[in-house]
Amino acid sequence: MRSEVRLPVLLVVLGVLLGVGVPTAWLLTRPGTSEGPPVAEVVAGSSGPAASPSRGSDAAGPEQAGSGGSLPSVTARPATPQPAETRPDPTRLTVPALGIDAPVDAVGVEPDGTMTIPEDVSRVGWYRFGPAPGAPEGSAVLAGHVDDAEQGLGALSPLSEASVGDQVQVTDAAGGSTTWQVVAREEFSKQSVPLADLFARSGPPRLVLITCGGPFLADIRSYQDNVVVIAEPV
Amino acid sequence: MTPLRRTLVLGAAGAFALGAFAAPALAAEDTATVSVLHAVPGVPVDVYANGEELIPDFQPGTLTDPLQLPAGSYDLAIYPAGSDPATTQPAASADDVTVPAGANATIAAHLTPDGTPVLTPYVNDTSPVAAGQARVTVRHTAAAPAVDVRANGQVIAPGLTNPGEATLETAPGTVSADVVLAGTDTVAIGPADLTLAEGTSTIVYAWGSQDAGYQLAVQTIEGTHSSPSGVPGGSAGLVEPSVPLPVVGATVLGMVVLGLGARRLTAARD
Repeated sequence: MRSEVRLPVLLVVLGVLLGVGVPTAWLLTRPGTSEGPPVAEVVAGSSGPAASPSRGSDAAGPEQAGSGGSLPSVTARPATPQPAETRPDPTRLTVPALGIDAPVDAVGVEPDGTMTIPEDVSRVGWYRFGPAPGAPEGSAVLAGHVDDAEQGLGALSPLSEASVGDQVQVTDAAGGSTTWQVVAREEFSKQSVPLADLFARSGPPRLVLITCGGPFLADIRSYQDNVVVIAEPV
Repeated sequence: MTPLRRTLVLGAAGAFALGAFAAPALAAEDTATVSVLHAVPGVPVDVYANGEELIPDFQPGTLTDPLQLPAGSYDLAIYPAGSDPATTQPAASADDVTVPAGANATIAAHLTPDGTPVLTPYVNDTSPVAAGQARVTVRHTAAAPAVDVRANGQVIAPGLTNPGEATLETAPGTVSADVVLAGTDTVAIGPADLTLAEGTSTIVYAWGSQDAGYQLAVQTIEGTHSSPSGVPGGSAGLVEPSVPLPVVGATVLGMVVLGLGARRLTAARD
């Protein structure tokens, strides 16, 4: 009698373990949609005016001027037309930990105002109106298609598995290269991507990698989210 | 100097002290951003604001970095460099120039069409430029009649008269700019290569006189860019997150085993 009961009980326990335990374990261990601190926090305020530490001197200024009694010199410079300073364009992006190794094209914007992305999903676009990787300040933005119906997976499709600490390398047309380290990854619905901060032209130098992710909306043939990875210079 | 005047000068002096390093932080408050351009050929000048010397020995063809000034009204004057303002007539002056809070202005010292020095305050357009575009403003500050301003040989600002200006948004890039007498192909200035950077405002001044020669001066205002409106990124749905097959298999198997065990259990109880 005892042994007859033991088998069914064993089966029930095993069944619960498999049926509940496995999906739960998968849910808990699968790579999350984000890593590191929230991206919005990392890039917050990059696009705005400089922070306010100097604001304290607002009150002190007039006093100093009053007691000192002299005006500091005003800087003037020749207004003759100057040739533009140029920095070599980035030409290649590699993220060894993710197996990403893709050529980079300089791109601008589409007539609808969105960033141009190379048609070839094995190539990555660099937003040429913003800073270049290695510029002293601002965010250099590189973006690529995650996939295409005919071409298959895109060069940046592994981006959704980027981990904090992954090394990123960008090579430029002059043969120079810059090395970066991933500090955060996050998925945003396309309506809530902090574009102004991601495309900041001032503030600390950053590398911003963007592709698509999240649920696929078949009726508009588009993904709902943007996968955003932020890297900082090593 | 009246007490009010004195206060204004002190306030202005304080702002100049701050201007060098605190410009962005104060920009949004009760201050205005002011640049000064010297476009009177041949004569270095001293620039005075409310009776106080602001820029000594200001050279023709130079432009100051942007200054943060308290919003308000200013009496501006220029004197030949090194002269005593108490005993010298100003070369040009402009009283009660109102500088509203938040404004971005350029005060240009330049010549009228007949060659008299004058101070003209211009308000600079710092509204955002659409992503992928550049803004260019042309200002006629030369002792010359009406002109056409051309970019790559095409007229972009026809019939501009001193001290008029024209503004347009265009594709960024380097253009070859020149200035011709209105309605003619007679080149008065240039050509000169101008770089119109995306998301910036480039202000071009045509200045000078027949005797001293005509030139272009350029002022660039940054920070007027816009971000792209989005980043499209895929069209096939290949990487849509889904539950992997082994997990589905294990779950189904678990359900079957559970059902089997439960049936056995109830059977054993009967």
